[in-house]
Parts: sequence; structure tokens; C-alpha cells
Amino acid sequence: MTANKYDAIIIGGGHNGLVAAAYLARAGKRVVVLERRHIIGGATVTEEIIPGFKFTEFSYVVSLLRPEIIRDLKLPQHGLKILPLPSTFTPMDNGDYIAAWDDHDMTRREIYRHSPKDAEASDEYSRAMARLAKAIKPILSILPPDPTSFHPKDLFGLLKLGRFAASISEKDLYGLAKIMTQSAADMLEEWFETEPLLGTKSASGIIGTFLGPRSPSTAYVLLHHYMGEIDGAFRAWGFAKGGTGGIAEAIGSSARSLGAEIRCNSSVKQVIIKNGRAVGVALENGDEIRAKAVLSSVDPILTFLKFVESKYLPADLIHSIKKYRTRGSSGKVNLALGELPNFTALPGEGPLHRGAISISPSIDYIERAYDDAKYGRFAKEPFVDIIIPSVIDPDMAPPGKHVMSCFVQYAPYDIEGGWDDAKREAFGETVISAIERYAPNIRRAIIGKQVITPKDIESITNITGGNIFHGELLLHQLFFMRPATKWASFRTPVDGYYIAGSGAHPGGGIMGAPGKMAAEIAMKDGI
Amino acid sequence: MNTYDCIIIGAGHNGLTAAAYLAKQGKKILVLERRNIAGGQVVTESFEEGFQADSLHAGGSLCSDIVRDLKLTSFGLPATAATKLPFVSLQGDSHHLILDADPAKAAESIKRFSANDAARWPEFLSFMKQTTRFIRTANATIMPRLPVDLNFSEGMGLAKLGLDLRLMGGRDMMRIVRGMPMTASEFVDEWFESDIVKAAVASLGIHGFTLGGMGAGTGFTLMHNWANRGGLSHAAVPGGVGKISEALVNAVKSFGGEIRTNAEVKAIQVEITTCKGVLLSNGEEIPAKNVISSADPKHTFLSLVGPMNLPPEFVWHTQSIKMRGSVAKVHLLTDGKHGIPEGTIVLAPSLKYLEKAYDAAKYHTISEKPYLEVTTSGNVVSIHFQFAPYALKSSSWDNERKHLEDLAINTLGEHFPNLKSAIKSLKSLTPKDLEEVYGLTEGDLNHGQLMLDQFMFMRPIPGWSNHRTPIDNLYLGGSGVHGGGGISGASGRNVAKVIDK
Repeated sequence: MTANKYDAIIIGGGHNGLVAAAYLARAGKRVVVLERRHIIGGATVTEEIIPGFKFTEFSYVVSLLRPEIIRDLKLPQHGLKILPLPSTFTPMDNGDYIAAWDDHDMTRREIYRHSPKDAEASDEYSRAMARLAKAIKPILSILPPDPTSFHPKDLFGLLKLGRFAASISEKDLYGLAKIMTQSAADMLEEWFETEPLLGTKSASGIIGTFLGPRSPSTAYVLLHHYMGEIDGAFRAWGFAKGGTGGIAEAIGSSARSLGAEIRCNSSVKQVIIKNGRAVGVALENGDEIRAKAVLSSVDPILTFLKFVESKYLPADLIHSIKKYRTRGSSGKVNLALGELPNFTALPGEGPLHRGAISISPSIDYIERAYDDAKYGRFAKEPFVDIIIPSVIDPDMAPPGKHVMSCFVQYAPYDIEGGWDDAKREAFGETVISAIERYAPNIRRAIIGKQVITPKDIESITNITGGNIFHGELLLHQLFFMRPATKWASFRTPVDGYYIAGSGAHPGGGIMGAPGKMAAEIAMKDGI
Repeated sequence: MNTYDCIIIGAGHNGLTAAAYLAKQGKKILVLERRNIAGGQVVTESFEEGFQADSLHAGGSLCSDIVRDLKLTSFGLPATAATKLPFVSLQGDSHHLILDADPAKAAESIKRFSANDAARWPEFLSFMKQTTRFIRTANATIMPRLPVDLNFSEGMGLAKLGLDLRLMGGRDMMRIVRGMPMTASEFVDEWFESDIVKAAVASLGIHGFTLGGMGAGTGFTLMHNWANRGGLSHAAVPGGVGKISEALVNAVKSFGGEIRTNAEVKAIQVEITTCKGVLLSNGEEIPAKNVISSADPKHTFLSLVGPMNLPPEFVWHTQSIKMRGSVAKVHLLTDGKHGIPEGTIVLAPSLKYLEKAYDAAKYHTISEKPYLEVTTSGNVVSIHFQFAPYALKSSSWDNERKHLEDLAINTLGEHFPNLKSAIKSLKSLTPKDLEEVYGLTEGDLNHGQLMLDQFMFMRPIPGWSNHRTPIDNLYLGGSGVHGGGGISGASGRNVAKVIDK
């Protein structure tokens, strides 16, 4: 039995857990991160699944990583390098394509040839979205108040929220209200008419959700993805050198340099509770580790229902967590390629290979993919978001060869009959066929592949339901309701036990915000 | 020149309610109705096919304070039946789920599907009583134009609503706050485990709307419909829903108000930004100090006022209002041997069934396996059909009427084998009919879908939810404003309060 006494134990070495550890270590606390797998990163991981080919296995792009975290933890010094994705290329069924390039004028001309009206609208749309994203951004760092409590602290929190709302212009306030409730399709169709443009833009509204672009409230997810920034450039998406695993490695390196300990192959079984207080954890192998506080960066279902006996939690919370929606709807197909995919719409190697390639020819295409998932099937014609990391970072693959990361929707966790090897294979096939329609050489280019279903996401990273955000970004699971009402500020009913992952405010994406805020709350509580 | 204090466009139930309140105050008012009968959607009509039916709504009741204030019982408003009829969810094996108004009887029926759900039923009913209270209070609250121009009484109204909610207790308050953006499926999933019980209740979330049970905001519409009906089943009106409109008409006339039918308003006359009166289709000009339009916002602003008289951004927002009605009605005159029991009968066997019916609407086709709600009155069977989208992708309603009728009858006939042979004549109302006959843009019964982004302070458009318009002395008072939707008359009552003396 290990009797080391730490100030804090972090369950889970994903990016939020690592951020929490780094902040605590930075404040002089003795911290240990317990990671179940043999490597850190969680879903922010790069693995050499096929020798020589590094797959940015689950997540693949970054934009929402908080600038203050990058600064505070000196991540660039620890190897963090984010390279902007300069373009999005959408091939069309008629052999044409539409693209958004790095150059504003080039993009405008590109849209103009499809629709002069859309070219006009495009600039104003970007401005409107940027304004709304700026307006709501402070929410990411606000501690959600509990509206049901009359406690002065919460009333003050509500007041602050009210003052924040009052600081936004009337026009923007209504804009925000609209965007939080509209469907991505309705919102976009008020601005644009070109189908592949609509399809591509609407895709941001449904990433990681179990909703379609015509589902109400998906316009919010669109805004959520718009809030990112790289080097101060608003809304730019980027690729991290070394894949998203490079981000985890940088944070891990920073945490270690600040004095945090990281242990892999350490699977936690339970939180040890004495007199209503968390005093440590018990590992699956029987070891016990003591600490003043425990921060769980894994999903809310594990955090509340696995690691803690139900007798320590109020019935309401247990009920809420059992009802917490965490349906995975996405999969990944990672490919090792012998040659670049050659798109008939724009043949040859070119700028398009440095950016994102989106199989999203129209809103209805994505909506039909969603319909399949609703009824327990993976999409016959899936939405695919593709990047080719090796073009931007040649270290990801052997010379002349490439790795291709394909994010796919929809593939429901609860597929009819359950996921098995045959279904996984069929799912992978469907994705390759979807790409083949636009790049016929893809099949012969494939040297090796890794197909990941939501069930695989769950079994590899342990995220319940395989939902990439540790819980869907639904209106009733956000802000003061995430992961549950009354428990939306990182504390739990067990003293000294905190939730620090994407299942807490402000939600999922590679942000690091939950980890940082949970660490700050724990320190405020005096660990 | 004895100018009218107020002209009300549209003798629907909201227009009539507003007229009655104003006339009772001694105002000189005139109601102008395009059709030859008053009542709008709240009518019981005789069809040339030889029978009469509640054309669009199978039941409903005005807010109790309206009935009281306008003394409507003395004007012929029938008392609603003491006991409500049951809500029946049809099952393939004919062992239907019968949700009787008596909680004990309902629980007995639920028990056959899930003992746990039967046990939760009474608590669920208590909770829905709370949500009903909240919805009714919210609909009685004028939604101010936040955060500017917040006057004292509007602020007080909001504060009262907030306090009302908070006093329900933290638990129920959060259930309601969370329940509003939820899907109807999630809403019922919080309480029940049986898909059959869930689907039956969830169907209230989609009834009358172009929304799916798996769409966000149908938690709110579920609460809304429950509040308007006072429960699951319709509160039928003895003699037909038209009796409500008749009583309102009598009240208006008795208080000294004028009502003119066959008087279509062609334009609202505007001088710079002030409303001066109306122009009828026959060329007659009628001046007035104030005008209330109870027609839908799109018709009111884009047709009657005209975009040239309105700020460009206001026009853009109005054009963006989503109407897209998808309700059709099929009324059948039978020989009485149809076999359909009394009550509100629904075809909502599972959540997936309801969702699939809605999918058709997304792609602008008619649901081949529709959601139906059926009521009977004597020998008349009235079928409410969803989804029948106004804008069809590869056809038009002129060509699809027969298809709609067949679908409705055949689908219902699967559960009631005697139905087809019992039919003597029928009358169908497609979304196009709803637009042309009843003046509903895109056939939308709600004057604008009651979606999350078109409700409360965003209804009809953000910033204009307090019945006022950019035109001085012109007010909007129909279902398209906050408080509207359903036969409550709330919008009409509210707009009468808002008019500056």
C-alpha cells in the first residue's frame, strides 16, 4: 500500500487532467496524474498505429485552446506548435467544387462564381458571427451561478451575469438568443443560397452532437466552434505539430517541469471517502494513494456513478447523471496512404491538400446522414471532415507517403444490434466509398487503415457512450446545468472531490478551460 | 367626424377578445372580417358536403379571467363538460393505452405497459399542473423589449414571472427551465420508461407544429399544448368550438362594438410612421386612432403595411419568420358505425414513429405513415393529420388532396376496419386551404412556428414582442405575438391592455 501523501490526485491524463495538474503544480502543490492507458492524452493523442505512420487518432484540429493556458504553462517552450489550416475544400457532385482560401479576395471571387449574392453576404456574415462570438466568449470563463439557490454567492453570480448581459448591445443580445435556439440550417439559409457552402458551414453545427443541421439549437454549436483563435487570429482552426497528441505532450512536459508526477498504466477503481470527504483513490491493482483532494477529468458518468458509491450522492444528482445525454455519434477513419488523394474537381497536388476537405455537398445530405443514425444505422452517405497532417507536418509519415485523418458523422453508439467487427468494416467501407466518389484513386492509395467506431472510442479512451465532448452540447446540458443543476461549478457533493473534464462547463473541444477552472476552485477551497 | 378609437383587423378569437375588452371600456371600435363568418380558426362550419364540424380545432377554452371579465357565459358560452373524455393511444393489437382523466383509471391502463410508469403518473400530473401554471402566467406577461425601454409595469410583470417560477421550489423550477429547451422525447424520458407511454405524451409536443419529437424545444411545446388543453385530451365545447366565437361576437355587440364581415382589409394606411386607418378591398377608407391587426405578422407587415413603410432590418426579420405549416384536416361524415371510441384518439405508437412522420416534412413530402389525432362528434369523425407540409417538393396541393384523404382514411382504417364502409361524405382542408380560406400564411395555425427561436421575447421577432410595431398606433394582437398560440385569447386580452389611452 502506497502511503504517499499528495495535495491532489488527478484521475485521467487527458488534456484537461494535464492542464489541472500543471496549474496545481505551478502553485506549488504536490500532484499526481493517474492515467489508465500506457500513454497520456486521452482523446488528444497521436499513436503510430501502423509503423512509420502517426495517426492523430481521435481529435485532429485545435482552435479553442485557451491563450492564457498556452501562456501560463509556457507550452510553446514545451514543443507546442500550432499551424493554421489555410483552407476548406468542398467537392461537388457535378465535378465542381467550392473552397474557402487563406486569401480573403480569392475566397470572395471563389464564392462569387457560384453566387454573387453569397459573396456579398459572406463578409457581413463573418462580421456578425465574429461579433457574437466575441460577445459570448467571456461566458467560457464565468463560473456558472446556481439559479435555484438564494445563497448570496449565487445571487451575486446571477447579478454579474445580468450585468454581463446588459453590457451586450440589444442587437447582439437578440442575435445571441436567436443563435442559441435556431437550427444551423435556418440560420444559414437566412444568409446563403449555395448548397455546398450551406452544407459545409452547417457541418460545424453538428460536430460531436446527435443532432442534424435542421435540428433546433444547432446554430449554437456553430458559434461554439467559431469562438476559437490562433495567435490572436479569430476563428482560425489549426493543426498541432505531431497531431493533437503534440498538445498533450506539451502540457504533460510543462506539468512535469513544474513538479507534477504522471503515472501511466494506473487505472483508478474508486475514490476513497472518509467522513464525507475524499481522501484518496484506490487503484484497480489494489494500491491506495492518499491526497487532500481528487479531481476527476473523466466523463460525468464515470466521475459520479463509477468512482463513488451511490450512498454518498443525493438521489437527484444520480437521476440527472443517469439521464445525462452522452450518445456518441461520430467515428474516425485514419488512413496510411502511398499517395495523395487526387480530387477530380481540382486535380493534382495543390493548396487544397494543406487544408480541410469536407464531404458536405448540401444541408440535406448531412440531414439524411443524421436520419440514418436516429434509427440505429450508420450513415449510408456520411459527412466526412478530412485533413492530411503529413502535408503540414512531414514527420507524421515516411517520405513520399501520407496520413489522412477522416472524422465521420454519423455513426451511432447505439447501432441496431450493437457494433461488431463486420459492422466496423462496413462502416469503414462506406467512408472510403464516400471519398472515392470525389477522389477515385483513394482505394489504391490506401496502405493501411484504422477504423474507429463510437464503441471503440469508448473502449480505448473510456469515454462513456463514445461522445467526444463527454456529454452532448445540448441547451439543457450547458452552463449552470452542466453536468447537472446545482453541480455546475466543478464541486461535487463529496468534499474535496471535483469534476475537471469536458463534462463540466464550458464543455468539450480541446479547450483546457474545465481543467484550469477546476484546479482554481480546488485551490480556493484550500487544498 | 366620429373616428373609431380602434379598428381590429380579423374577427378571430384574439381580435374579438381585444374588441370586447376595448368596447367594454367604452371605446368606439370596429372589427373587420374578410370572410362571411366571424371566428377565424375557432369555427364550427357547415360544409356543402352536407355536414358540420369543428373545422380546425377540436376543443379548447378561453382563459378563465377572460370568460369572467367579459361575462361570456351570459352571452351564450357553454359550460365545459364536467369530466374530460379519455386520451387514447392506439396500439396495433387493439389493447390501446387509455389515459383517462381520472388518474387512478389511467394508472390501471399504464400498468399493462409499465408498473413503474403507472406509479409515477400521479407525480407527473402534479408536475404538469405546475408547468401549466407557469405557461399561463408567462402568456399573461407582456414580454418587454429587453433591455431598453423597460417600463415599470413590464419589469414588474417579468419579476413576478421569475418569482412565481422560483417559488415553485428549486426542483420544479429547474425541471421547467431545463424542460423548455429539451426535446419532447427527453422530457418524457425523465419520467417514464415505456416507449408507448412516452410516445403518447410526447405527441403533444408536436401537435400543430412542424417539429419532431427529437427536436429541441418540443419540451416547451408539450407544456404549451398541455396548458392550452388543460391536460392531454381536448376539452370539447358542447355545440362546437364555434360557440366560443359566437359568445365573443355577442359580447362585442352588446358592449357597443361593431363587427363587419365580408370586409377585407387591403392595406393599413400609414403616414410616415403613424397609422391612420385602413383601406378595404372595395375601396372604402376607414380612419381610426388605433389599429390592431390579429392577422399573422407576415401578412400584416408585408402585405397590409408594406415593406416600404417599415425599417429594412424589421422587414428582413419579418421575412425570416418561419411559418411552414404542416397540418391538414380530414372530416368524415359517417353513418355512425365507424367504431371509433369517444375521446381524443392518437396514432403515436412509438417515439421513432413520430420522428419518422416528421422526417417527411423536412424534405417537403407528405408523411406516408402520419401522426394522427382523431375526435368524433355524433356521426362526424375529424382527423388531424401531420405532416402535410405547405411547400411540397415535387407536387402541389391541388394534385395531392386525394392522396392526403386516402392516407388519412387508410391509416385510421387499419385500426378501425368498419370506418371506410361507414363514410358518407368527406371534407379535407390542406395547408393551401388553410392559407386561402382562413388567411393563414403557409397554412401555419400558430401564425409563426412556436419554436425556441420564435417564442417569448423573440416572438414575432426579437425586440417586438410587446404588441407594438414600428408604426405608431399600430399593434399586433394575434397568435403570432407572445402569448398567442392556442385558443386562449391571451394575445387579444394583452394587446387591449397595451394600447395607449
